[in-house]
Amino acid sequence: MMGKRLKPMMFNARRAYVELMFQVMGRALQAISEVDESTRSETIELPDGFLFEMRVMPHGPALIVEHTGTGRLLYHGDEPPRPVDLSIQFKHIAHAFLVLSFQEKTAVAFANDRMLVDGDISYAVRITRVLNRLESFILPKLVAQRAVKEYPANIKLPEKLVRAARIYLKVATNFVETARS
Amino acid sequence: MTNKYYEFFCPVKVIAGKSALEHMPYELTGLASERPMIVTDKGVRAAGLLDPVIAACKEGGLEIASIYDEVPPDSSTTVVREIARIYRAEKCDSIIAVGGGSAIDTGKAVNILVSEGGDDIAEYSGAGVLKRPLKPFFVVPTTAGTGSEVTSVAVITDEKKNVKLPFTSSFLLPNAAIIDPRMTLTLPPHITAATAMDALTHATEAFTCMAKNPLSDAYATAALKKISHSLLAVMANPKDSAGRLELAQASTMAGIAFSNSMVGLVHSLGHATGAICHLPHGMCMSIYLPYVLEFNLESIREPLGELLLYLEGPEVYSATPASHRAEGSIAAIRKLRDRLFELCELPRTLKETGKVLEGQLDSIAKLALDDGSIMFNPREVSLEDAKTVLQRAWG
Repeated sequence: MMGKRLKPMMFNARRAYVELMFQVMGRALQAISEVDESTRSETIELPDGFLFEMRVMPHGPALIVEHTGTGRLLYHGDEPPRPVDLSIQFKHIAHAFLVLSFQEKTAVAFANDRMLVDGDISYAVRITRVLNRLESFILPKLVAQRAVKEYPANIKLPEKLVRAARIYLKVATNFVETARS
Repeated sequence: MTNKYYEFFCPVKVIAGKSALEHMPYELTGLASERPMIVTDKGVRAAGLLDPVIAACKEGGLEIASIYDEVPPDSSTTVVREIARIYRAEKCDSIIAVGGGSAIDTGKAVNILVSEGGDDIAEYSGAGVLKRPLKPFFVVPTTAGTGSEVTSVAVITDEKKNVKLPFTSSFLLPNAAIIDPRMTLTLPPHITAATAMDALTHATEAFTCMAKNPLSDAYATAALKKISHSLLAVMANPKDSAGRLELAQASTMAGIAFSNSMVGLVHSLGHATGAICHLPHGMCMSIYLPYVLEFNLESIREPLGELLLYLEGPEVYSATPASHRAEGSIAAIRKLRDRLFELCELPRTLKETGKVLEGQLDSIAKLALDDGSIMFNPREVSLEDAKTVLQRAWG
C-alpha cells in the first residue's frame, strides 16, 4: 500500500533529478568550453551554429547546447531555437537517471542501447568525449570513475580542483543570472 | 540486482546450404512477390554468378522482371535513384541483391525509396526514420565477410555533398539471406582470405567489445570455430564447397554477432584507413586486429583467453595456462596471418600494403577517433593511443 503511494513520488523525484542534472550539465558544458583548452580543441571541430540536444524520449527533459564558434558552447535551456543538428535521446527517463546518477557509464549506456543518436555519429562521439572530460573535472575521482570509461591519467589533482572550482562558479553564476532574468 | 542489459534482434530467415538458391521462388511467392528485380554489379555478372540465381528462379516458375548490374564499389544517391526509377518502370515488386557489401547496401537503399516513395534517398538518412516494413528483400552474398545480409545498416555516398549517408533501421534487414556455396566458389584467394579475416574480426570484436552479450557470444564463437577450421583448407583447395559453405555461414554468424554487439577500435582504424588510403576493408581488419587486441589486452584478458578454444582447438586450449590464453589467442591470429601472407600475400603490416605512407598515420588516427565504433571499444582511446597502435601496425 505504502509502496503504491510512494511510487508516483519516486517517479516525480527521478524526473526532477534528471531535469536538474540537465540544467547543471548544460551550464557546465558552456563553462568548460570557456575554461578548458582541451575541450575547445574538441568543440572547435563542430560547425559554427551547430546545435545539439540530449533529450529523454518522447517529450521529457532536455538540454540544448550550441557551438557558437572558436570552440565556445552556449546553453539554451530545454527549447531549441531551431531544429537541432544532433540529437542524443534516452529511450526512457529511467535510463537517463541511471546515467545521470552515475550508476551507468555513458559508454555503457550506448552499448546497452539506452540511447539513440540522430545525426552525424562522429559529432556524437566528439560530444561524448567532452562530456567525459567534464565529468572527470567536476566529479570526485571515485564518482567520475563510475561515469567515464577510463578516468584520464593526465588530470592531476591541483588542475582538477582549479578547473572544477571555475566551472562550478560559472554554473552558479549562470543559475543566478537565469533566476534574475 | 544485476546491471547487465542487452538487446538481440535478428529476424532474417537464413537459407543455407546445397541448392539454397532453388528455395528462392518458394520464399518469394510466399511473400506475394511475382516480379523481383536483381541488383548487382558487373563483376558478379562477369563471374557468371547471376546464372544460377536466374536459372533457379526460372525453373521455379518465377521470372526476374529486371536486372541492374552497374552498382559501383561505392554506391551513390544517383545510382539508388536510377535503380528505383527502373524498378517502378518495370513494375517490380521485390528486390534480390546479389553481391558484396555495395550491392547489398544499394539494395537496402533502393528498397527504402520504392517502399516509401520519393526520389531523394537522403531524406531517409539517419536512425529510426523508417516506421513500417518495406518491400520483400532477399540477399545473396557473393563474398564471405561483410555480414551485410544480416545488418540493419546501409551507407550510401551523397555525391553532391561528398558525404556518406548512414541509414539505420531494423526494416532494412532482408526477409531472407541465401547462403549457397556456389556463390563463393570462384572467389580469388586474396579476396577469400581478406573477407574471411573481416568475418574473423567481426566475431573477435563482437566477443571482446563493450556490448557483448550471451547471444552474440554464441554466434561469435561458432563463427570463429568455423573460420579457424575451414579458412586454410579452402585456401589450399578453393573448390572445397563444404569449406566454402562453412566460411559463408561463419560470415553470416559473425554478422549477426557484431550487429547485436557492435565492434571496436579495429573497425575505427579500418574505416579511417579505408577513407584515407582506399585500402580494402578486409585487409585493414587483418592488419589491425592483433595490434588492437594487444592494446586492449588488460581490459579483455578473460574473453580473449576464451577465444583460444575456438581458434586453436581443445588440445592447445587445455595445454595453455589460463593466464596465458589471451596472449595465445593473439599468437594464433598472428600465425594465421603469417600463413595467409605465404599463401596469397595478404599484408600483415601497413608497410606491406605498399599503399599507405607513414606520413598518413596521424590523419588516420585523428579520423579514427571520430568513428562511431570507437565508443564500444573496451578501452578509452586517446589520439596518442591511436597513433601508437598505428605505429606498431606500420611494421
